[in-house]
Amino acid sequence: MQKKQRKKRILVSILLLAFSLCTGCTQGSGTGNSDQEDKTSTAQKESKDSVIVTMPVTSEPEAGFDPAYGWGAGEHVHEPLIQSTLTTTNAELDIEMDLATEYQASEDGLTWTVKIRDDVRFTDGEPLTASDVAFTYNVCREKSTVNDFTMLENAEAVDDTTVVFHMARPFSIWPYTMAVVGIVPEHAYDESYGQHPIGSGRYIMKQWDRGQQVILEANPDYYGTAPTMKKVTILFMEEDAAFTAALTGQVDVAHTAASYSDQTIDGYDLLAVQTVDNRGFNLPSTEPEEIDGVLYGNAFTADPEVRRAINIGIDRKEMIDHVLNGYGTEAYSVCDKLPWYNSACEVTYQPEEAKKLLTEAGWTVGEDGIREKDGIRAAFTLLFSNGDSVRQALAEDTANQLKELGIEVTTEGVGWDTAYTRAQSEPLMWGWGAHTPMELYNLYHSNSGSKTGFAEYSPYANETVDRYMDEALAASDLETSISLWQKAQWDGSTGITQEGDMPWIWLCNIDHLYYVRDGLHIAEQKIHPHGHGWSIVNNVDQWSWTEE
Amino acid sequence: MKRIRLFFQNRRQRVLVGVILSASLLLILCIVGAFCADAARVTDFSRKNLEPGIPYLFGTDWLGRDMLMRTLAGLSLSIGLGVLAAAVSACIALILGIISATMGKTADTIITFLIDLMMGIPHILLLILVSVALGRGFRGVACGVALTHWPSLARLIRAEVLQLKEQPYIQIARKLGKSNWYLAKKHILPHILPQFFTGLVLMFPHAILHESSITFLGFGLSAEQPAIGIILSESMKYLVTGKWWLAVCPGVMLAAVVMLFYLTGEQIRKLLDPGSVHE
Repeated sequence: MQKKQRKKRILVSILLLAFSLCTGCTQGSGTGNSDQEDKTSTAQKESKDSVIVTMPVTSEPEAGFDPAYGWGAGEHVHEPLIQSTLTTTNAELDIEMDLATEYQASEDGLTWTVKIRDDVRFTDGEPLTASDVAFTYNVCREKSTVNDFTMLENAEAVDDTTVVFHMARPFSIWPYTMAVVGIVPEHAYDESYGQHPIGSGRYIMKQWDRGQQVILEANPDYYGTAPTMKKVTILFMEEDAAFTAALTGQVDVAHTAASYSDQTIDGYDLLAVQTVDNRGFNLPSTEPEEIDGVLYGNAFTADPEVRRAINIGIDRKEMIDHVLNGYGTEAYSVCDKLPWYNSACEVTYQPEEAKKLLTEAGWTVGEDGIREKDGIRAAFTLLFSNGDSVRQALAEDTANQLKELGIEVTTEGVGWDTAYTRAQSEPLMWGWGAHTPMELYNLYHSNSGSKTGFAEYSPYANETVDRYMDEALAASDLETSISLWQKAQWDGSTGITQEGDMPWIWLCNIDHLYYVRDGLHIAEQKIHPHGHGWSIVNNVDQWSWTEE
Repeated sequence: MKRIRLFFQNRRQRVLVGVILSASLLLILCIVGAFCADAARVTDFSRKNLEPGIPYLFGTDWLGRDMLMRTLAGLSLSIGLGVLAAAVSACIALILGIISATMGKTADTIITFLIDLMMGIPHILLLILVSVALGRGFRGVACGVALTHWPSLARLIRAEVLQLKEQPYIQIARKLGKSNWYLAKKHILPHILPQFFTGLVLMFPHAILHESSITFLGFGLSAEQPAIGIILSESMKYLVTGKWWLAVCPGVMLAAVVMLFYLTGEQIRKLLDPGSVHE
């Protein structure tokens, strides 16, 4: 009898173990925040000038709110809110002024002179002068590891309201950099600045509970239009926790993903924001060769006809419907809808034409339905980052679609520790999209940081494309620069488009989705870049609640 | 009729049938699962997020993969990995246990220290370390599980051997001038085999659960593979939207397999070590 009971107990404990395996994680992430949420949500009901917004856990700035460590000017660009910037971008992504009153580049593009306002104070009462600006940029140039400041030689304050940037090389799109670098106070800056940021921006950071939330309060002395939203609480949580938080009415704006989009929540509407948060994969464009122990290139995708066939052989519309539940737009470049986009990148879905291209290039269908040429199989491994369900789904759908063309694609999940190296010889599902044309340079220019003579992330090189981008950076004004960026994509005879080299295939731009509480009016969003985080609150100061 | 009644009275036979039954169930599961591996990877977006029903008994996930196929393939992968890791682990335990008990004091001290050291570090932590160091994937997980599960069995075997060594017949054999190697092979090994096999089988469920948990935590197999840990961790994201079948069916199957292994182990123990019934 006793024996039986013991056995039962063990069985029960095994069951419990298996069950806890299933449930352990949600409980962990769910309970962590609930206390805070309860408190903040009661506060919310009383006042109509505060808002609670959720963001992915990865959006929390690890090194704090310091521009030198990527706040605002990092991998995911956004307005720094706590600090103010020299320029700013509007909804059309044209440059407007913030701290700057005017700026001018010299003929050779090697100096930028910026005049700033003289009536701006930091929240500790000290005035913001040109030396703070110069200090900020010099610190960024020395310390920034997440954003490239190597084009800057140094910044110099000529007088209280004039800053001169001495450039190491011409950089015509400097105003776009000036739009994301928040100005820090020279007198209150040290290594721990990120934890206690002082700025001159629209908001003051009141509280930061690491791993949980950030509370921002309106800056009463702000020099611009006073924020209508007085208090902004940002909660960091995973999508499933954000969904639950919206379900229980604890937050006003909850970020969500396409896989949740068929769910409706009472009292909330689904908001879809257009983005350049694109997904696409690289096709290594050179023959395989080993350099320093790393394999570069891919025998199959080195054939330009193959890359062109893949580009027109993918039904992007179907992909968006299947994977994103329709919440996305077709992508043809890394910079769709941005001022420097060249519409020559656009193609239509032509499966028959794609098959024809492959056959004409000598890739004939073998016995198992997969093409072959000179003993090379029309096959590759498409990598995606482990745990990213959207990229995984896109990779799987790509594999299904390319199979129709006679190309065999196997998918494999990898960690970012090995992904960059492997992408030099195998296609990887990437996500890009930023408010600067430098992204084109980073992906397509053959000197962008690599010693191999290829572009940094996937082997490719084209002298003409390089030249256009170099000229674009050296241009004396933005308009000329932008038309040169467009020519780098396609100039009528060469480029990176379907008729050109096609080293990257772009699939879709992913709409950023949010559950928004009824009555909350979210101001018009500029097109969101990569990163489902801070972009939504770029203009939180202009949000408002409908009076009941 | 009489025979059948006799069969139910004969505990030994009953247990034997039980062992054969559960072992063949596991074997079938393993083989069927291996054949499902290809089907488990097929994605079809026209059938995504279906509830359990016909023809998809376990439903489908957000990529339109057949969850039954994935579960079977995942279990077969887990069983294979469990068998491999448990066998390696048990062999390490056997060898170390015997060396520790027969090769003199220094060897004993070193090995006891090793055992204590390994048992001092939390299992899962060591597993993660080994797996990550070996580049994750099947190899990482297999080595991780194999290298972390031997200490308790090694300790058991060591104690058993120490006890055996004092038995009169072994003492006499030693006095007759037989070598250590001869003693270990002829007199000790046969006596500890029952312990060894029971320990081996009881290690499977451990290994399988640990394989699943490490994969669940993201340090094991990569996401496109049909592994139970992957299935369960993916299902987490969709539980909140009411897609219960993604977690429940594979979870229950995992629990069932683990239980089956456990029962088999218990029954084998009864067969090989009948005395234990009176404990």
